[in-house]
Amino acid sequence: MKTLRRTATALAGGLLIAVSGCELPPVDTVQSGFRGVGMEHVQNPRTLEDSVRAVAQRVPQLASPPEEFGDPAPDGTWENVQVLGHLSESEFNRFKLAMTTWVAAETGEGCNYCHVIEDDGQVNFASDDKYQKRVSRDMISMTQTLNTEYAAHVGEAGVNCWTCHQGQVQPVNRWYFGDRPDPPAAGSMIERPQWERHYLDRNDVRIQSSEALSGDTDNRASLQQTEYTYWLMIQMSESLGVNCTYCHTSARWGDWDESPPQRVTAFRGLDMVRHMNMEYIVPLQDEWPSDRLGPEGDGAKVNCATCHAGAYIPQYGSTASHAVDWPALNQIGVAHAAGETTSAAMEDSDEDEESDSGEVSENP
Amino acid sequence: MAEYQNLFSQVQVRHAPDPGVGVPDPENRIPDSGFSYWLGKIGDAQLGPVYLGWLGVLSLITGGLSIVLMGLVMWASVGWDPIQFVRLLPWLAVEPPAPEYGLSIPPLAEGGWWLLCGFLLTTAIILWWFRMYTRARALGMGTHVAWSFAAAIWLYLVLGFIRPLLMGEWAQAVPFGIFPHLDWTAAFSIRYGNLFYNPFHMLSIAFLYGSALLFAMHAATILAVGKMGGEREIDQITDRGTAAERSQLFWRWTMGFNATMESIHRWAWWFAALTVITGGIGIVLTGTAVDNWYLWGQKHGLVPDYPEVWGDPVPAVEPGELDGPLQGPPPEGMPGVSYMEAGNGFILPGTAAHVSFAQNLEVTP
Repeated sequence: MKTLRRTATALAGGLLIAVSGCELPPVDTVQSGFRGVGMEHVQNPRTLEDSVRAVAQRVPQLASPPEEFGDPAPDGTWENVQVLGHLSESEFNRFKLAMTTWVAAETGEGCNYCHVIEDDGQVNFASDDKYQKRVSRDMISMTQTLNTEYAAHVGEAGVNCWTCHQGQVQPVNRWYFGDRPDPPAAGSMIERPQWERHYLDRNDVRIQSSEALSGDTDNRASLQQTEYTYWLMIQMSESLGVNCTYCHTSARWGDWDESPPQRVTAFRGLDMVRHMNMEYIVPLQDEWPSDRLGPEGDGAKVNCATCHAGAYIPQYGSTASHAVDWPALNQIGVAHAAGETTSAAMEDSDEDEESDSGEVSENP
Repeated sequence: MAEYQNLFSQVQVRHAPDPGVGVPDPENRIPDSGFSYWLGKIGDAQLGPVYLGWLGVLSLITGGLSIVLMGLVMWASVGWDPIQFVRLLPWLAVEPPAPEYGLSIPPLAEGGWWLLCGFLLTTAIILWWFRMYTRARALGMGTHVAWSFAAAIWLYLVLGFIRPLLMGEWAQAVPFGIFPHLDWTAAFSIRYGNLFYNPFHMLSIAFLYGSALLFAMHAATILAVGKMGGEREIDQITDRGTAAERSQLFWRWTMGFNATMESIHRWAWWFAALTVITGGIGIVLTGTAVDNWYLWGQKHGLVPDYPEVWGDPVPAVEPGELDGPLQGPPPEGMPGVSYMEAGNGFILPGTAAHVSFAQNLEVTP
């Protein structure tokens, strides 16, 4: 009897440990496709509620948008403004101030996080000496591109700095070469995780044949490549907090005809991530100091989680992360034409930004 | 019946170890035998005598070497860190060579170890098969055990040898490792358009579940007549007695038909063997004859036509925009990082190698 009781206790204890990693039921399951084919969204309403509440609590208090955004500031108002020349002076200031909250809040440095303080205590807004300022310019330019060229992914609402940065100078969700998932994904222990290429330069995640018979196809996609695609998909699923059938028909992953429309949005998102990394973020590599680099000496890069952070819409659609009220970000910016008196400062900056100097004269 | 043991028996009898029936060349046996109380709880308390022979010895050596090599390769993959080895063991793998190597012999670190481990393991398994065969013959038995084992070896060889040969690359084979071989299974099904639509996979599953059902029915029947001595084969041969009659009547009452004392074992044997025989056929056809089982199923009326719930297919898509290249072989190096050298793949966060690598980076930013 004693043995029996001891065994029962051990069994019960083991069972408790085994289920301790699980979420508390029940979860909500919503049918999203044809009946009987397992097309359903699974959400834990309590976890979801907590996440949404956390997003709401973080919303920054910023100046409200004006009735009219006004005309661009007259020439010579600023020195060395290369991507925000389309703003009025007040909108320019409202946006700059917002950035100190969106990005530099954790440093508490305000404007000085990017701008240089001279020996006499004055802030030199024109100087590009700080890498933070040079990086910011590229990031503003990147955001303008996202909001204008990638409406198919970011929608009419668009994105702003807060969407990813959340008050941190580096978004929490970022990746480096040499990062290994823990626990590791298939094949990741031996070789470099090749799925990362799909965030960089590779569009070809497709591995399933569109022909039934092997003789009719020259598809030689290997099982290893299938695992790269598989892991990319798992990362996307975790980044968005959704299960596979949010985007796919489970019977046939590759089939677009039976896929929910979300899959196209995600497809364009992958395109967007590649553009962000290859055109904007990887080229910034040399700007960052060594303590900003990953274990293999590369700079941080973005993936789906950088913006989504576990939510199917970043910040669960909070307007705090939209670009609608921010003309600084929802259109492609132009360079602000400098006045005569600022030629010295411009020459100074030309050394750093050679490619931009031509643009200055072309956009009065 | 001094040897009589039953799962419910509270009594274990101790006596001189029973050498068993007289067989030719018993001198090859290891004569030592003894009794184990705990073995007696789950079966016969007598341990030994074991017959090893040269087949057994060679099989144990090659099999043991293969397992040890796998362990060492896995340990090396975490920079010989013992803690990480234990912590990450379920995810560690000995991976087959990359597709570029085809059927050639790659360097050890790039799949050569996989080839060597696989060769040793296959040798061990085949030697063990011969051992099963010769030992059965030596006892004057049939060779049913050896042939059911051969059915399993068929599936094993299809997965790791026959299909890779037909596909022209070792890369098609299954890696060694706990989760890695499961990941392979998932990837295999995804790559070939959902294995559930492979009819031989269906048959294999039917036989697998059928085996479990037959196993449960048979075991439960014999246990149920245990109190009439139903599991005592010797008694049942000389006197069918009440146990066999009752167990057979039970099934005639409940489903009208009963297997016989002999035929139930043929049912079980064929279900078990067909699980792996049909499974192997399904695997060997995949990629060699059929590249997308879902489409094959559609072609042959296996897949119903589901209504297009979301329209055709999705918003604002240019024709052909969603089509694109299939995955080609991965290119050398990564973009934008020309300074990166190959071979850093072993560095794992938290390992000593990772720490020293990060420290080196500080001095040469």
